[in-house]
Amino acid sequence: MAFIELDNVSLGFGPDGDRTEVLTDVCLEVEENEFVAVIGFSGSGKSTLIALLAGLLLPDSGEVRIHGKVQTEPGPDRGIMFQNYSLLPWLSVYGNIELAVKQVFPEMKTAERKQYIQRYIDMVNLTGAEWKKPHELSGGMRQRLSLARTLSMQPEVLLLDEPLSALDALTRSQLQDEITRIWEEDRRTVVMITNDVDEAVLMADRIVPLTPGPNATLGQSFEVTLERPRDRTTLNFNPDFKHLRNEVTEYMLDINREAKELRVADAIELPDIQPIDLTTPSGRMAS
Amino acid sequence: MKPFLHHLLASTRLSLLPVLLLIGALSGCGSSDSGLVLDLPDDLSVAAAESGTTEDAASESVTESPEAPATAAPKTLLNLEKDELKFGFIKLTDCAPIVIAREKGFFADEGLQVEVIAQPNWKTLLDNVINGELDGAHMLSGQPIAATIGFGTKAHVITAFTMDLNGNGITVSNSVWEQMQQHDENLKSPTPKHPITADALKPIVQEKLASGEKLQMGMVFPVSTHNYELRYWLAAAGINPGFYTKTDIGGRTDAEVELSVTPPPMMPATLEAGNIQGYCVGEPWNQQAVAKGIGVPVTTNYDIWKNNPEKVFGVTKKWADENPNTHLAVVKALIRAGQWLDETNAAGDLINREEAARILSRPDYVGADYDVIKNSMTGFFFFQKTDKRPMPDFNVFFKYHCTYPWYSDGVWFLTQMRRWGQITEPKPAEWYDETAKQVYRPDIYKQAARMLVSEGLLAESDVPWETDGYKEPTSDFIDGVLYDGHDPIGYLNSHKIGNKD
Amino acid sequence: MKYKLIKAIDVAGLTFLTPVVRLCYGEEPKKQLQEIGRFIVVPLIAFAVFVGLWGAIAPRHKTKSGEVPTPLVVWDAASSIWRFHDREADKEDAYGLSGKTREQKLAIVEKRLSQLEPLETLANQHVKEANAARTTSVEELVGPILTQYEKLDAEFSAAQTEREAALKRDAGLLASADRAAREAYLQRVRDHAAKTEAEREQLKELKAEETAIRAEKFPQLVNALKAQTRIAEERQYLGKLSEQLGHGNRTLKLDEQMAQLRADQVTFLSAEGDAAFMLAQRIVRQEARIQKTSESTYAKPWTLPMQIYRSLACVFAGFLIGSAIAIPIGVLCGLSKTFMAAMTPFIALFKPVSPIVWLPIALIIVGGFIPDPDKHWLIDFLANLPLLGWMKINPAFIASAITVALCSLWATMTNTALGVASIDKDHLNVARVLRLGFKDRLFKIVIPSSLPLIFAGLRISLGVGWMVLIAAELLSSSEGIGKFVWDQFNNGASDSFAKMMVVVFVVGLIGLVLDRIMIVFQRLVSFDDAAAAI
Repeated sequence: MAFIELDNVSLGFGPDGDRTEVLTDVCLEVEENEFVAVIGFSGSGKSTLIALLAGLLLPDSGEVRIHGKVQTEPGPDRGIMFQNYSLLPWLSVYGNIELAVKQVFPEMKTAERKQYIQRYIDMVNLTGAEWKKPHELSGGMRQRLSLARTLSMQPEVLLLDEPLSALDALTRSQLQDEITRIWEEDRRTVVMITNDVDEAVLMADRIVPLTPGPNATLGQSFEVTLERPRDRTTLNFNPDFKHLRNEVTEYMLDINREAKELRVADAIELPDIQPIDLTTPSGRMAS
Repeated sequence: MKPFLHHLLASTRLSLLPVLLLIGALSGCGSSDSGLVLDLPDDLSVAAAESGTTEDAASESVTESPEAPATAAPKTLLNLEKDELKFGFIKLTDCAPIVIAREKGFFADEGLQVEVIAQPNWKTLLDNVINGELDGAHMLSGQPIAATIGFGTKAHVITAFTMDLNGNGITVSNSVWEQMQQHDENLKSPTPKHPITADALKPIVQEKLASGEKLQMGMVFPVSTHNYELRYWLAAAGINPGFYTKTDIGGRTDAEVELSVTPPPMMPATLEAGNIQGYCVGEPWNQQAVAKGIGVPVTTNYDIWKNNPEKVFGVTKKWADENPNTHLAVVKALIRAGQWLDETNAAGDLINREEAARILSRPDYVGADYDVIKNSMTGFFFFQKTDKRPMPDFNVFFKYHCTYPWYSDGVWFLTQMRRWGQITEPKPAEWYDETAKQVYRPDIYKQAARMLVSEGLLAESDVPWETDGYKEPTSDFIDGVLYDGHDPIGYLNSHKIGNKD
Repeated sequence: MKYKLIKAIDVAGLTFLTPVVRLCYGEEPKKQLQEIGRFIVVPLIAFAVFVGLWGAIAPRHKTKSGEVPTPLVVWDAASSIWRFHDREADKEDAYGLSGKTREQKLAIVEKRLSQLEPLETLANQHVKEANAARTTSVEELVGPILTQYEKLDAEFSAAQTEREAALKRDAGLLASADRAAREAYLQRVRDHAAKTEAEREQLKELKAEETAIRAEKFPQLVNALKAQTRIAEERQYLGKLSEQLGHGNRTLKLDEQMAQLRADQVTFLSAEGDAAFMLAQRIVRQEARIQKTSESTYAKPWTLPMQIYRSLACVFAGFLIGSAIAIPIGVLCGLSKTFMAAMTPFIALFKPVSPIVWLPIALIIVGGFIPDPDKHWLIDFLANLPLLGWMKINPAFIASAITVALCSLWATMTNTALGVASIDKDHLNVARVLRLGFKDRLFKIVIPSSLPLIFAGLRISLGVGWMVLIAAELLSSSEGIGKFVWDQFNNGASDSFAKMMVVVFVVGLIGLVLDRIMIVFQRLVSFDDAAAAI
């Protein structure tokens, strides 16, 4: 039995007559301590998938199981890192983490808690910014804070919802390395959503593509067998890496083309009509 | 913020100081562990020695102080139930006794600290007295009576002090005055002959009626002297000012001239705004109309009824029962204030009125300009800018035994309430007498006066000790009708316009 | 340091000071000077222009209640208000003075009083002279007008009588069937009436001219009267002061009472029988008197600074009551659509109701709860509070505060509801992931997240409350700024108008400061960089 199981999960929104099926019959199994990257085009329902895993959404049909237990509500055991950070803007760096820590470890003593929080701040390299408010932080720092908050809850599963998509390329690669480093130091089950094939190949153990929505579902998965730790500078010359990257990219482009072809039928045909001349006869004469 | 802090500091200092002083002064006589302990001296010799040769500064100033009052007879010690009082008044010069008693220290002499608070109108004033917000107030004579018999707000209000006589005037707008002049050649003179009756007003009223309008006039309160005086003046000229009935509490049934209530200080503004064409009000609001050139006082209530009772000092019966000694002390101070206000020199001139006018013109009292207040207070009255006449009795605060609470005054107001229908049912003559006796309390007045006499502050002859409470019958009215307080029914029936029993 | 200062200035909303600070640090002097010019010099010039225009226009506009006061007159009125306050505070102090200080003060007062005497005589003399001068000058001007008036009046009435006589005479000559002649006659009567009316108009105009001359201000007299009033007022004040320092002084009264008490005590020790009883009673009574005297304070009238303080207390009381109602209800509305639906009709119904309606209702209700204010526990409790006690909080105060609350709570309520309803979904997701309980979710997520909007609402509420309060005080005659204005209006004295103008500035200034304070709070709770609207 896998650690996380998505068993024929479907989810749609809207009233009966005008219903959009976002996910249809999604099946996924993630082993313990496995790093899975779900890759897909924007609008394909990636965030919905992670919300289902987190328990923030409940499936219309099918089940989400962790440890074989059906999930019905969110909880700190599945730490989710939101795409737009979801930091509480009125709390400082310290306060944001403290809120989570207090809630998850209520029995922790004050001094101990302080130390504990500091450890996570240090871990994500935010030392010195403890008392800054989120709006005083750069995008990368915010995402690091978000990561620290999520990690501080010591979740069994780490759910990363396009954690780096809003960042510039340099910050992004820096954070990729950091997340990977932290994961390698303290292994746990990770499901990461991304739209960047390189990122997926660089970080994950396995890549699962999501077909374009609506009615999105998971396609064939690609194992990433690259040796860890992976060094991005040398990786670019690694033939396995190049091969895998191309394979995934091609696959993604293919399923996208298919989806588009399928959709052509829906295109609206414009009626073939001529505009009527509305000028007065005399005006026509003059011209 | 400085003044507030200053004030706050001052007030805390004030509350601590006397206690400290007392502890100091008393340290010799007995233990003083609870702050203020007044134990007996341990033995005679010690006490005697102490009272003779104390060393602390506080006692020294007793012997040295030249300011300590040296009254001939010892002041009667009244055991005050309450020594911090709040009295209400309306911005009118006849609130003078209360203001003077405060400013000239008559209240302080009785050990009272009195706060004097302006009220926006007579209704609020009465309500505040009844609900206990105020301890007592400058009231219209009709108010205690009406409250006691339950016309308007019902509450047993009493008075042991009449504040003044006369002091009201009837003012009409400039245009009404011009029309009156057209109807009566005699009024065209810059100094027309007085009294001016409402005869010249009658054609104006009728013209208005013919065009479907009614002349509007203002008075200050349904049971005010002004209401009755204005009605008296109009009715004496055959103009019907309207009746109160069970359903018409505005008093406009059959009215040829409609009367409405406006607070005294608002009168000039209301006249200027054109909502009313005339009004009857106390001073300085008639003189104000002259000063501002917005109206002409045509007559004073001295002409309508010579030496008519005007304001009283009213308290609730409940308050008077709970604070009998305080009430006595207040009446004592008020009598002295009245006496001060009417003090004359050998030539018979009022000597304190200018000072009184100055005090009254302070913004927290009447607040009108000194010049305006001074006119009537010093015994003059401007009927027009060019027509200044001496009226020495325009305000009487003490003469003619006026501060005495006369039953006959109460009966007169009751007859007016009946005449105009505020009292809807006919009543027997005894009822008038009984009601007046419920409200007017000469017993308290006499007790206070007796103390003043024994303190040497009042002459024996200043109080009508032997009266039955009824003034001599008088016909000093504008229409010459005789009023005898003992015969209210006969008086009612002697008027042309008005309810008859 | 510089940035800290600039930040503090920014938080306080005093951004016009920023260029000054920057200039002090020598940063881009030219640009800073430009900024100073725009944000400090220009407003100052605008204000100066306003004052100048006011000073120029005011004297031209005359009302029957007096001239529109010029800035100078308003300034005078302000200082007269302040003088009144100062003097009353002095009298209050004098009542409690004792020992050497009292004697010294008394000596000063007496000296000043004696100095004033000749001045007063002089001032009275001046007034008399000015009055006489005025009378002659007015008579000179009025004389010819009056003569003309009399002349015209005589002429006109003679002409009228003549015309009337002619008409009467001709009426007898009218032939019975001559319609044309009758019509002509009617026309003549009409002309006569019109002419009479025209003549009357002419006389009226003359009269008006005379009245105008008489009403004209005579500067010499005005100044003389002003001087006289100033001296008379000071004399009165000093007189009262000397009384408060002299026989009206509390310490002296206490000394006197103590002396009497001691005398009685001494006699009592040797008294017997009935006399002993009488004396004992006297002693007991005297003790009570001393107790009362020692606690007594001078009954000080309300002055504007005190009234401002009380108004502020009232507006904050109302504001607190209003917020205590509005925020919880607003939060509930934001949390639950059902509750919002239940509340909407009430909000819509009560929101537009004017303070003028709420106040009497509040007065009646408060009056019902506090039938006897002198003995009510709440009033008693409030009277003994340290900073509020002296304000004599009464039912009218409470009713005014409730009116303020009822009128001002709506902005806070709707803003709170909006703030709670529009909370970021992600923040709620955080709460869900953390499995925060209702209480934690409310206090750790929902309320902090809606604080900026709540404070924006509070700021509007306080502004509304301040405006409403003045009206409420005016109606309830609860001591405060509103009562001051009403009293001035009622006084109708020559300086009343100016005093009301003083209040305009005072109220405006306080409103401004309150708003600034709320802005600071709003900025402190707002977590993003978006500046609060100015």
